Amino acid sequence: MAGKARGCHKIRGAQIRDLLDSKHNILFDCDGVIWNGEIVVAGAPEVVTLLKQQGKRVFFVTNNCTRPRENYVQKFSRLGFTDVAEEEIFSSAYCSAAYLRDVAKVQGKVFVIGCHGVQKELQDAGVPTVEDVSDAPDVSIYNFPLEPDVKAVLVGYDERFTFMKLAKACCYLRNSECLFLATDPDPWHPLRGGRITPGSGSLTAALETASSRKATVIGKPSRFMYECIASQFDLDPERSLMIGDRLETDILFGANCGLDTMLTLTGVSTLEEAQEYRDSEAPEKKDFVPDYVVDTIGDFLEALED
Amino acid sequence: MAASKCTRLTGSLVKQLLDSVDSVLFDCDGVIWRGDQAIPGASDVINLLKKNGKRVFFVTNNSTKTRKMYADKLAMLGFNASEEEVFGTAYCSAMYLKTVPKIQGKVYLIGSNAMRQEIENVGIQTIGVGPDPISGAQTDWANVSLDPEVKAVVVGFDEHFSYMKLNKALQYLCNPSCLFVGTNTDTRLPLEGGKAVPGTGCLVRAVETAAQRPADVVGKPSNFMFDCVAKQFSLDPARSLMVGDRLDTDIMLGTNCGLKTLLTLTGVSTVAEAEDHLKSGCPNRTGMVPDYYVDTIAELLPALQG
Repeated sequence: MAGKARGCHKIRGAQIRDLLDSKHNILFDCDGVIWNGEIVVAGAPEVVTLLKQQGKRVFFVTNNCTRPRENYVQKFSRLGFTDVAEEEIFSSAYCSAAYLRDVAKVQGKVFVIGCHGVQKELQDAGVPTVEDVSDAPDVSIYNFPLEPDVKAVLVGYDERFTFMKLAKACCYLRNSECLFLATDPDPWHPLRGGRITPGSGSLTAALETASSRKATVIGKPSRFMYECIASQFDLDPERSLMIGDRLETDILFGANCGLDTMLTLTGVSTLEEAQEYRDSEAPEKKDFVPDYVVDTIGDFLEALED
Repeated sequence: MAASKCTRLTGSLVKQLLDSVDSVLFDCDGVIWRGDQAIPGASDVINLLKKNGKRVFFVTNNSTKTRKMYADKLAMLGFNASEEEVFGTAYCSAMYLKTVPKIQGKVYLIGSNAMRQEIENVGIQTIGVGPDPISGAQTDWANVSLDPEVKAVVVGFDEHFSYMKLNKALQYLCNPSCLFVGTNTDTRLPLEGGKAVPGTGCLVRAVETAAQRPADVVGKPSNFMFDCVAKQFSLDPARSLMVGDRLDTDIMLGTNCGLKTLLTLTGVSTVAEAEDHLKSGCPNRTGMVPDYYVDTIAELLPALQG
């Protein structure tokens, strides 16, 4: 909502209850919100169950494209969430495949720089991709074959990223009719123990520099993931709440989609960072300010258990 | 000093310009050669300049060759030149590390064997050159074993660039006292045979994005390349001429260092682009306007032969 001053208010107990009473759809980011790596955020499974018991709809909106949705379902189950369905999970890989199939309606193949999680979602969506095979021995960065029917390039997190993939993608992108998509803009992803690993954003930056083109980014903070959910479920933005741990992706995403936003402090961003954005003079920084702040979504339990 | 006006260099102006300088600095790719083909007349120009008592230097952002390798290529193409006159970014990065931050310790190097040789020539040990594909699980990557003696990450052109290298660079750069140096930011690297591949700029951008910090860039348009030449040969900028084909690197360097500048049209930039910068009146862009331009450096021949 343009010009709305967001308060960055820390809330507990009855305040949380009142907020949740006014919302029908709760959108959760995953990493740093409901789990950190393989460690569940205490109380998160119970919170999800209680929200659903109270008739709320719950969605999971994650930029993490490293696994397909069916593997996410397994992870939810492994970490103690008892009733999360595949349809409720929206990852940037799933949404990128949906975009290529339903929005861009790509006729032709997609050249993918991406891990198994990305490849599988495209396969499941029926989007044809250039086969990811090893090159013949005489192929090098100075001399490589190109597929004839490539209509889009998709870049996402790829632990098998090589210079060769960058060179091939750059060639395909010389055709201005070839689409250029990125799963998400995250420069790095957190791993357990406070360490980090390079994210999709760093690979996208390499390809944008090589091609002198800007990628269309599917993941948060772009609106597309929200539009993907809204195309399958009826969502009223006024009655929806976005909960995340990263101001520059989750909170900005919420603002871009006209949702109320909540920052939880079990992940990347800190309260101080949120307050800095709030106190900044620059108007564009206002969208990084959450409406509400909680220490952990575990704090919802006392509000929901009444 | 009058603002650069992008004047065609012709007639008596050529002799006037050459008489007003003692040293001429040439970029290589697109100026004196294209791939492995010399620009017709280029070797005569260089050889005659020297005969006429001018000093000649070669200043290139290309980090894939040592000074010796450049000297060999120059000799093969008929240029009368010596190792000491060549300033490529492999050599200049080594000089930078030695004389500016004065590295005591090792360098994690994403780059070519030529870079390794030049850096080790100044007594600094490097690790990391060569293929480095991913292995192990994601949880291993943040815990990849790091050499405690590494004091800087240096990024140059590397056909073996991979996610694992990007990851290792990020792990080293998580230590704020680890230096971060890039050879250059060119988006494309010209190859033998006239083709091009993604340039070092793409690799530097990938690491900058993951690490969320900027690299210290050695190559043009950074002043360091000129300072390197000037210190060794006591150049007077006002009596020096920079000849290049790229407005944003060669001409910018020349302007920033107070040299006269000459654009040649056998490479990347066009007169239209130069005139656009001139018309813009924008202080960021007027530095990219050359004093003069020629279609090819062979146009200097009549004045030199006369």
